[in-house]
Amino acid sequence: MRTTQHEPHEETLGERLRSQGISRRGFLKFCGLLASSMALAPAMVPKIAAALEQAKRPSVIWLSFQECTGCTESLTRSHSPSIEGLIFDAISLDYHHTLQAASGYGAEEARAEAMKEHYGKYVLVVDGSIPIGNPGFSTIAGISNLDMLKEAAAGAAAIIAVGTCAAFGGLPKADPNPTGAVSVADIIKDKPIINVSGCPPIPVVITGTIAHILTFGIPELDSLGRPKAFYGQNIHDRCYRRPFYERGLFAETFDDEGAKAGWCLYKLGCKGPVTYNACATLKWNEGTSFPIEAGHGCIGCSEPNFWDFGGFYKALSIPTGMTGQTAVYAAAAGIAVGVAAGAMNKKAKMDADSLHKTVTVDELNQESPS
Amino acid sequence: MSALTLERGINAFKAQIDAPMASFFSSCVSCGMCAEACLFYTENPDPKFTPIYKLEPMRRVWEQEYTLIGKLKAKLGLSKPVTDAELAEWQELVYNNCSLCGRCSAVCPVGNDITYMIRKMREGMVASGHAPEGLIGASTRAVQIGSPMGVKLPALQAQVKHVEKHTGMEVPFDKEGAEYLLMLSSMEIMNYPEYLEAVAKILTNAGKTWTLSSECFEATNSGIQIGSSDIARELVSRVVAAAEKLKVKTVISPECGHAYTALRWEGPNLIGRPYTFAAKHIVEVLDELRVAGLLETEGFEDAKMTFHDPCQLVRRGGVVQQPRNLMNMVAKNFVEMADHGTMNWCCGAGGGVSANEDAEEVKMKAFQRKKKQLDELKVDTLVTACANCRIQLEEGLEVNQMDMPVVGLTEMIAEHLVERKDKGGAA
Repeated sequence: MRTTQHEPHEETLGERLRSQGISRRGFLKFCGLLASSMALAPAMVPKIAAALEQAKRPSVIWLSFQECTGCTESLTRSHSPSIEGLIFDAISLDYHHTLQAASGYGAEEARAEAMKEHYGKYVLVVDGSIPIGNPGFSTIAGISNLDMLKEAAAGAAAIIAVGTCAAFGGLPKADPNPTGAVSVADIIKDKPIINVSGCPPIPVVITGTIAHILTFGIPELDSLGRPKAFYGQNIHDRCYRRPFYERGLFAETFDDEGAKAGWCLYKLGCKGPVTYNACATLKWNEGTSFPIEAGHGCIGCSEPNFWDFGGFYKALSIPTGMTGQTAVYAAAAGIAVGVAAGAMNKKAKMDADSLHKTVTVDELNQESPS
Repeated sequence: MSALTLERGINAFKAQIDAPMASFFSSCVSCGMCAEACLFYTENPDPKFTPIYKLEPMRRVWEQEYTLIGKLKAKLGLSKPVTDAELAEWQELVYNNCSLCGRCSAVCPVGNDITYMIRKMREGMVASGHAPEGLIGASTRAVQIGSPMGVKLPALQAQVKHVEKHTGMEVPFDKEGAEYLLMLSSMEIMNYPEYLEAVAKILTNAGKTWTLSSECFEATNSGIQIGSSDIARELVSRVVAAAEKLKVKTVISPECGHAYTALRWEGPNLIGRPYTFAAKHIVEVLDELRVAGLLETEGFEDAKMTFHDPCQLVRRGGVVQQPRNLMNMVAKNFVEMADHGTMNWCCGAGGGVSANEDAEEVKMKAFQRKKKQLDELKVDTLVTACANCRIQLEEGLEVNQMDMPVVGLTEMIAEHLVERKDKGGAA
């Protein structure tokens, strides 16, 4: 007869993956993707692999407040089954009211238990903003979002604010902000908070951030608390349409020749120049495409207050008195006519040069401004 | 003598529009990033203070005169000619609300050097009679008396006597063949005479030969600020003549931002030939002495300090590391402002703004940007290397009831100087 002595053993991520049938090759591939998406040197791949292999399955509590579940959708639907999905499986997701099978009392008990058992060690993930206008605006099991966040944050090792709602208030906070929505960082001040913004964030950015915390701890963050590895670069700087911008070739409407030719969408309101995210490099749907590639300007969803930027289809800002149309004339004139009219202009300029009369201080004083 | 007219102004615009300018106008994508980079806009957010908008009349001249579409539009009456009233309206935008600090040029996504354009636009403003009174006065005194503040040689001689008495060192005038010709700004002669004493001590102590010139001691250049190359050329030529007469190796630009721009960058272009000498800012010279082991200091300042980067020195001039090397020689508790170095915010009074009486309110508004930076840091002392910045900073601090001394970097170094017994000196 066989008896197995059950030692209390916390399964490592590596063990877990193997039991799930993930090959070493597949695992290393994921580590490689992670390294490149976080802009780490290839030499880091074995280190990530080793660290992940040894990582204990941390308890993760996922709270959803004023949100649309798009962030969860983004993560789960991305490509399944996927190695990201499994890594996520390999995390002990102890509470996530959309995904968990339990409901009602059982679900809340699971949360309470996880918080008690892993006090000080669990990772808290939050999506959605918190209404402080009236606690009754959003509740779960009769508990207001504000109370639940404070209670869960107290025992968390770190908090990941997933999505722009949790990170910056997002859509619920859009003017006039009827619920008094605020971000996680507006409430919790004494815990490390990693903002994984986006509406929704790119799946691999969510998993990559979690993996970074497992392997190397809290990643380096930008001034808005976002991991620099993913949010360090500007969409515009990495956009494949950038050469058209440089040459002044802009789509004017969504169905003109310029749009068909794939010209820059700046004038159609693209917020790429002010948006920091990895869309242009990592892309969406297993690297298939991203909004600008699909023909629509970036709406700047990973930036605070993107909803109130002044319209998704309005070009960033038009500071000069000239209308969009004259700007086009000016640009077109400068480029197309510049060469042809060069000789003519040269003469005009030379004439102007020869007409120049030296300005003296006597003249200045004689003609003091009226 | 003819009059300054709109026609002369428009002609000056046409003459000033060169290839870079034409390409800048044609490549502006109206993104508005220059607005957010400009303290005259951020502290007073009216769209008309957007840097590129300050060039609107000149842009129209460019369009109407140098582009086919513009010519057609002008013929069809779609584009109205620039009027005298418009230029009068633009005067406050081009002069009071721009310190030529260059921050807009640094952020422009298509690489437009907006500061370069505004400098050129001022040429047309001068020629059309729309320069501000304050700068006209300063330029007149600079040309006729030799100093924008009307400081004459006897005033300098009096200060020199005072320094000689105080230090026991000779402050030489017109010493041919000296290594350095020390130029000054009137602000230093009148407001901060300790600067001259500091440089005298440091150079003499380093065993360097140096001199002042009795024919030309003023390094500032109102012509650059008002935007008249004719006047700027006249003023810079005097410095060149003095330096070449005395056969010096290096001319030292004082702790003044635009004087450095005038002497170091615009000068050779204005006179149309290279100098026979080098032009350096005092901070560059001090750092060279440091590297050569000729600048030794002792002791440290305990106060928490920060360094205000003068725009012309750092952003337009590229002198970034030198002042930091010097700060670290004597400051134990040196902290940087959030946007230090090439992206530092202007004091709010450069580029001629401080000369215009009617810019008083504007420049104090602009100072709020500096106030925010300082409030964040909570420092005890503010160090800088530009007399003009210093006056504005002192005024701004006083108006805002912030109790904080403003110190010149050169003076602070001199206070910690290890004086050698075998002083070289110029005697």
